[in-house]
Amino acid sequence: MSELAQRAPSRPRRQIWSIGGGKGGIGKSLLTAALGWQLARMGKRVILVDADLGGANLHTCMGLRSPERTLGDFIRRRFERIEDVLVETGVPLLRLISGASDFLGAANIKYQQKVRVLNRIRSLEVDVVLLDLGAGTSYNIVDFFLISDVGLLTVVPEPTSIENAYRFIKSALYRRLRNAARNEEVRQLVEAALDAKNPQGIRTPLDLLRVVEQRHPEEAALFKHEVATFRPSFVVNQVREDVDAAIGHQLVAACARHLGVHSTYVGFVHYDEAVWRSVRQRRLFIADAPRARAAEDVARLARVLLQGETLPLPW
Amino acid sequence: MTRLNHYEALGLRSDASPEQIEKAYHFFASMYEEAAVATYSLLDVDEQRDVRAHIRQAYEVLRDPEQRQGYDRSLAERPPVPEPPRPAEPRPQPPAEPRPVEAPPAAPALRFLPEPVTGDSLRRAREERRVTLREIAGATKIGVRFLEYIEADRHRDLPAVVYIRGFVQQYARYIGLDPRQTADSYLKRVRS
Repeated sequence: MSELAQRAPSRPRRQIWSIGGGKGGIGKSLLTAALGWQLARMGKRVILVDADLGGANLHTCMGLRSPERTLGDFIRRRFERIEDVLVETGVPLLRLISGASDFLGAANIKYQQKVRVLNRIRSLEVDVVLLDLGAGTSYNIVDFFLISDVGLLTVVPEPTSIENAYRFIKSALYRRLRNAARNEEVRQLVEAALDAKNPQGIRTPLDLLRVVEQRHPEEAALFKHEVATFRPSFVVNQVREDVDAAIGHQLVAACARHLGVHSTYVGFVHYDEAVWRSVRQRRLFIADAPRARAAEDVARLARVLLQGETLPLPW
Repeated sequence: MTRLNHYEALGLRSDASPEQIEKAYHFFASMYEEAAVATYSLLDVDEQRDVRAHIRQAYEVLRDPEQRQGYDRSLAERPPVPEPPRPAEPRPQPPAEPRPVEAPPAAPALRFLPEPVTGDSLRRAREERRVTLREIAGATKIGVRFLEYIEADRHRDLPAVVYIRGFVQQYARYIGLDPRQTADSYLKRVRS
């Protein structure tokens, strides 16, 4: 273990960080790869896991060809040991478990099975496991997000991306509440809330909590605890102007005020031509141009996350 | 949105500096613009407008040292559970504690009168709060005569427009109305 890694960060070791966001094409995979590269450079042992069901391409972001062994092989027990599907990336301390498209066949794996898979990955010699989640809000994606120690939500400063991020937050939180509910009626209430046109008029987690408090006060404390411990972290990608970076703070404020969800803002990454140039050559920009603006942003994000910090408000 | 106090509405601590108040106001004002990405999908247009008004109100109070002082005092008096804006009755005076004359006697939440603001609507708002002209004159050092002219819309008997603005703002503030909106609206009729 390197000296850097020993200088204890405030987070415990063997962390699972997932990178989601709901929308496709907003840079989740690139961000995962760059963040992993940066953490490895800082002396952390990192495993990248491609949990993108439909469009697994994390290996391409790392400049690798499609690996022969994938997470799907492990889940379907084609390989007994998780080590068997672990691939070297050529970067010291940085390894990869590829998803590859055949993971789709394992799309209906159960929650407990996902926990088992992640625990096996966590049992490896590793400091940080980075999970690249796919687009959408399906159970598979949301479950991996919920199992993680840190759930990063990537957004770009565009309406559709932010709408999807809110949808993702609601889906994830409702999934969590549904799993926690002890009462069948409450469970049904949570399921009803998922439908935007529910007859109870539940639009937000705040509304849901109010209804639960009225009808099942005995469940309210549990609900509040589940909501309070659900803490997604926003990363704003493709920032072009200062106001774009401020959107992260606005999202945190909006989540707290209008959804009752306590999120944090952990970083932003500038839009940068250097990223494009590297992508086209199937190379990782942060390795190609570590002084590029986007690369420095990722480095800052890595530091903030390792310290368990948040970005300070602009006043 | 649950009712936030003015500091909470602007995400500020109670010791916020004037510069922080400015920055926070601009941040939240842009966050609740109609097309703002952070809120358009969470709130409808009316809800956005209400929040904007609330934020504006918080800002108007906190940026004015005098009003802020009065507001801080009222926060200290307020019961721990935040209340919705109070109706027009005057708040009972704390018995022994001497108060500076500038202290607004009513609740902190500023009200907006329907436009156009006239001398008559001002008078009615004042009477609702059971505040006398003499009281306002004592606190603001504006002559009772001028206050009467304002309520009677005797604009020609009043001094230059800049003074009228100041008078109306102080009058409004004293009876818990938004000073800027009140003066802006009142002055429209003075000029025409």
